[in-house]
Amino acid sequence: MSAVGQALSLWRPSRPPGFALCVLLFAIRTLPAQSIPYQRPVDTAPQEKTIGGGYKTPPVQKPLPRNSWLQVLDVAVLAAAMGISSWLVLKRRNRKALVALTAGSVAYFGFYRQGCVCPIGSIQNVAVALTDPGYSIPMVVTATFFLPLVMAVFFGRAFCGGVCALGAIQELVLLKPVQVPRRLDRALGLLKYAYLGLALFFALKPAIARDFVICRYDPFVGFFRRTGAPHMLLIGGVFLVAGMFIGRPYCRYLCPYGGLLAWCTRLARRGVTITPDKELDCGLCAEACPYGSIEKMRAVRRNCLYCARCYAACPRERTQLVKLS
Amino acid sequence: MNEHFTRRDLMHNAARGVVLATLGGGAGFLVRKANGQVVWQVDSARCLNSRLGEVGVAACSLCTTECVVSLSAVRAVNEHSRCGRCNICPAYFKITSAVDERGLPSEKLCPRDAITRKPIGKADPEDPANNFYDYLIDEEKCDGCGKCAMQCKEPLGLGSIVLKIRYNRCVDCNRCAISRACPKDALVRIPVTRALT
Repeated sequence: MSAVGQALSLWRPSRPPGFALCVLLFAIRTLPAQSIPYQRPVDTAPQEKTIGGGYKTPPVQKPLPRNSWLQVLDVAVLAAAMGISSWLVLKRRNRKALVALTAGSVAYFGFYRQGCVCPIGSIQNVAVALTDPGYSIPMVVTATFFLPLVMAVFFGRAFCGGVCALGAIQELVLLKPVQVPRRLDRALGLLKYAYLGLALFFALKPAIARDFVICRYDPFVGFFRRTGAPHMLLIGGVFLVAGMFIGRPYCRYLCPYGGLLAWCTRLARRGVTITPDKELDCGLCAEACPYGSIEKMRAVRRNCLYCARCYAACPRERTQLVKLS
Repeated sequence: MNEHFTRRDLMHNAARGVVLATLGGGAGFLVRKANGQVVWQVDSARCLNSRLGEVGVAACSLCTTECVVSLSAVRAVNEHSRCGRCNICPAYFKITSAVDERGLPSEKLCPRDAITRKPIGKADPEDPANNFYDYLIDEEKCDGCGKCAMQCKEPLGLGSIVLKIRYNRCVDCNRCAISRACPKDALVRIPVTRALT
């Protein structure tokens, strides 16, 4: 039986479908051009058997999410970058290599992954998932949130130094650092805990009123995605311009995750250490630190953002490097 | 025992242990719960473009304009098993356009020319008008404007073309920007297990 014959055998006048009628009218209008009027019913979808000719129904196109191994890669890159960051700062004391890592993080976590998933925004998702029985988060988000905290318990804020895309983009624009007066610095530093409290408040509301403020008011994600609400791009621009002089304003004064990392860092076994020297108390390191993290010639680890500027500014480090090479 | 090991170190180690146990416990709890993860999807029964009764209105294209990723994470999908495989497909042709010499509408509906068709089955050379056609939607071209979905629904079509989230593009925003704008609340959270099957 030909395809036409099969199609005609399907035709049952008892259920005249609207489209077929409409097409019939259409076909009648164009009769001179066609020998047989178009009269296939469309109230049922023809299946493989009706169509014949060895036809196989193509699979419905369903793009799957990002490969699971790519998600594992994201977590692995995050862990590796934190490892490299702490090794470069604590062992090699090498700022140049750290800047390279910073640029790499902006490229990968920022422009390639478009700033998502990040531990900062995931604070709210983790809070919701811990409290709401009907909400859960992918394992990647869990890993992204907890890995930097575990790292901080041992080595301090290695995540902030050259790994976090938001920190990295600010680190790269910081060209002429000025010192923020210490008391102002401390007062502004409390803002991040207020923001953390606010974020938790909005996250723990019932689902209908829940608002993921950290992600909505992420100042830099618009640059990474090269699109975004105009007011957020403007705020991001203000942060970047201010960040050319004030070291990492978002990290120090607003980042709620920085607050969590600072708490974990209090327990850190290792961290940036300034060794006082009998002959040389020059304080160049304290001057070089744009984040006010060296007080009385001691590194304040909970505020240290792992930029290695202190080591780069230290004359002793430089003489040692010359001797070795 | 290390002679430098002081009471302070002991306190530190104990605190570190407590913090690590808390972090590990929280992470473990969340990992166990991860199967219940939910993702965004378009509910075809609510979507203005695919739900019945919405005729004579312009197709809603908020999925194209509101999505935060550049080429929208929403696209039109043809459920082939439900497709009528019509010759004059109202989602493929602009059926109001002038008829050409083959008796077919001269213009196509898709503004980005994302839909292609090919004859399938036993083609009858005598009667091309009654042939069956497969309609394929080019994933790279479709930006989810919903014009084809609006045409492909009863009574004209069978409603085989619907808008769907593509998970390779969707970044799973906490509050999907399309869902904020959608007048019919058609963007819903569904379990990830259902989304992938």
